[in-house]
Amino acid sequence: MGLDRRSFISLVAGGVVGSLCTPVIWKTLDDVSIWSQNWPWIPRLNYGEEKKLATLCKLGGDAYGIKVKTVAGNPVTAEGNPDHPLSLGGICPLGAASVQMLYSPARIKNPKIKDGNNFKDISWDDAEALLAEKLKEAGAATAMISGDETGSTAEILSGLVGKLGSQKSFFMPAESAPAAAAVQMLGGDGQVGYDLENAGYVLLLGADALGSWANVARNAKAFAASRDKAVRYVYVGPAQNGTTAVADAWIPCAAGTEPLLALGLAHIIASGRTSYAPGFADFERYVQAYQPETVAAATGVPAERIMNLAKELINAGRPLVLTASESGHGLGAYEAAAGMCLNMLLGQMNAPGGVRILPWAPKVVESAAEKKDLLANDLVAYLTAVADGQEDAPKVLLVHSANPAYALPNLNKVQSALDKAEFLVSFSTFMDETAVMADLILPDSYALERLDDSYSPYGAPQAIYTVAAPVTKPIYDTRAAGDVLLSVAAKADAELGFESFEAVISAKAEALEAEIDSLMEGTPWVSEEFPTQDLAFWSSPLKEIAVPAGAEKSVSLSVVTHLKIGSAAIATPPFGTNAIRFDEMKGKEMYVQLNAATASSLGVKKDDRIKLANAAGECVALVKIFEGVMSGTVVASLGFGHTAWDDFSRGKGDNIYKLLQAEAEPGTGVSRFGSAQVTISKA
Amino acid sequence: MAKCKSCVVLPFLIGLVASIVLGWWGFPKVLYSQKTQPIRFDHVVHVDDQGIACEDCHAFRDDGSFTGLPTNENCVGCHEDVQGEDPDEARYVTEYVEKEKEVAWLVYQKQPDNVYFSHIAHKDKFECTECHLDVATMSTPPVFYENRLSGYSKDTMKMWQCEECHAKNGASNACFVCHK
Repeated sequence: MGLDRRSFISLVAGGVVGSLCTPVIWKTLDDVSIWSQNWPWIPRLNYGEEKKLATLCKLGGDAYGIKVKTVAGNPVTAEGNPDHPLSLGGICPLGAASVQMLYSPARIKNPKIKDGNNFKDISWDDAEALLAEKLKEAGAATAMISGDETGSTAEILSGLVGKLGSQKSFFMPAESAPAAAAVQMLGGDGQVGYDLENAGYVLLLGADALGSWANVARNAKAFAASRDKAVRYVYVGPAQNGTTAVADAWIPCAAGTEPLLALGLAHIIASGRTSYAPGFADFERYVQAYQPETVAAATGVPAERIMNLAKELINAGRPLVLTASESGHGLGAYEAAAGMCLNMLLGQMNAPGGVRILPWAPKVVESAAEKKDLLANDLVAYLTAVADGQEDAPKVLLVHSANPAYALPNLNKVQSALDKAEFLVSFSTFMDETAVMADLILPDSYALERLDDSYSPYGAPQAIYTVAAPVTKPIYDTRAAGDVLLSVAAKADAELGFESFEAVISAKAEALEAEIDSLMEGTPWVSEEFPTQDLAFWSSPLKEIAVPAGAEKSVSLSVVTHLKIGSAAIATPPFGTNAIRFDEMKGKEMYVQLNAATASSLGVKKDDRIKLANAAGECVALVKIFEGVMSGTVVASLGFGHTAWDDFSRGKGDNIYKLLQAEAEPGTGVSRFGSAQVTISKA
Repeated sequence: MAKCKSCVVLPFLIGLVASIVLGWWGFPKVLYSQKTQPIRFDHVVHVDDQGIACEDCHAFRDDGSFTGLPTNENCVGCHEDVQGEDPDEARYVTEYVEKEKEVAWLVYQKQPDNVYFSHIAHKDKFECTECHLDVATMSTPPVFYENRLSGYSKDTMKMWQCEECHAKNGASNACFVCHK
């Protein structure tokens, strides 16, 4: 029987009908739909045990405890640590992005050595041997810069430099140095902290406590708790910010003149008061120069408002005055002392609810400089002198956890000084502006990948020692800088007495009589002991704080820090780019803020492209009209204008550090650069 | 005419039967590839000979989540060094334990990432073997049938099965119960 056309069609029809009674069509359709949901580029979840591990966040100017959630050992997200006194469950914008930065495209994946204008890979053994050789040759012509004031890695660095016979150990500028100098002027000795939690009234002289100043997470918790206790928070500064948004009052005050207001207040409070505190009589005479009308003319705060503010301070129980530069650095020592004296006048020095003077962290690396000496060493002055040829350039310059090529005033001179260093070594985790200039890069493992520690950051109300065990193994060929430095020191015949960073931490714990096991598990050591201080008003000669004088037609530049945009140590994280508003950045250009009257007087209007310039340099920005800014003031944010890092931060906005020019404070020589005067013209 | 009828009916029946046979017998053989586990794990040795309870390796954590398959961390307690003469045992130690590499076990009931299955919510009502293969009695793990199109196991439970069981047992079938 042959298969004719009719039979064939019948066979096919039977096959089709039969196939409908099988899973072929239905199952295939179902599986194809599932297949289309499983493209290879779709990320897959990694299942496993979920943990929350205590660690440290040092990405901002602060060092505080956070918790990192891991799944199957992989960090997933970060949150506040309720058990850490500087977090109390809170977290800052950089802490929230800390897990994301582990995978940043700016990570340096292995040691590198300069090869022409590029880098080539080098093994760890060769890199360490090369650095050891360079250090032996350089000897006392070695210098170091660290951006981490709280950790033991800086102590090891300083110890190595000291062992080689150099005193050139520097921290990046911050608020802690002028505060410590101010306490020393009053006869005290210790690290400065503020007992916000127990304060009955908080006067913030330029301190953006809820945005960027000191222990941001803990400040926010203290502020939240203060709402139930009717504690008044008053912010004094040239522009509204995150703190003024929730504070009880904002008192507009010209940029950089807050310390003058402190002295004006001190004058009113001291007048007619009898005090047997040492130095009070001299101090009372000194502040006579700061009459309300004089201060009002300099600061823009009406005399009557100054009088009322003084009354509020006198009548408040446990008032606390926090003096700071709006940008978080660049305050002079006398300026810090002005605020400190006001606290002393109010009986709030080394007292509950007031300024706390904490013991210095114990030093375990014998050859390291004392922390108070390190704070007193002025990095900006040193690098400026190197650039100007007044100091010899270092033969080896070691840079750890800092980005001086981006985040210092006198930026042209700083970059010139870094260029003059014969052998610049960067321990940066990320390809920042300083790493790009380096001759050798020994990438530090990221914070979550290494053992780290922190002793009370500036502002912490008590002595706190925190140890952070690694959350995960290094994902690239990186090593902890502390261990690398100890290894290099041994190779350079400059043994520091420790074989590992862990041994340094153990020694520090022992010196504090803290349980190392408990520390390693994430429980911080906390001490409520405050050494007795023998304080006196202004034990050093009194110096007049001059009113900043601007050039004709110039405006005051108020420099601010927004942690979402980054810090001196870290560029904008990818998370941060989502939080930058349309009126903070347009395309790749940033906005600066002026009020309408100032803009009108300068002949500029909203969205105009303008040039801000002074003797230090110039920046370009767009105009945002904001009535929360004092007249004659322009507000600009740090954190933009990176030339290195990654696509999330590079080439966006301009670097306001270019406009900051340090001047030596008369009497102390401390580099002041908290604010500046600029001229504005259409770009 | 009768001849014409047979010319139509017979081929139709042949096509019908052939496609049914191919669809139910041949299609699964084409659709699923057969895979074996990377290491021949002998449950009988562990359960019967060593007296290890299921919960010793497949446990619930303190937070109620299910550990699923054990990792090297669990196994190295006994298998840091090679035990006995089983070649798979030696391979496990040399290729995984010593290299700190986890075994990529094939999971018979693996669910997609968009499904959250809570073992602890089911454990009191059902025996493990009502959903899982009874591997505790096997010296050699069963063949893993992998769907060539979807990539999932043949034994992966489909959503209709979840819904049916939920409906029969009065459990909610709201989306968020399984899709978090």
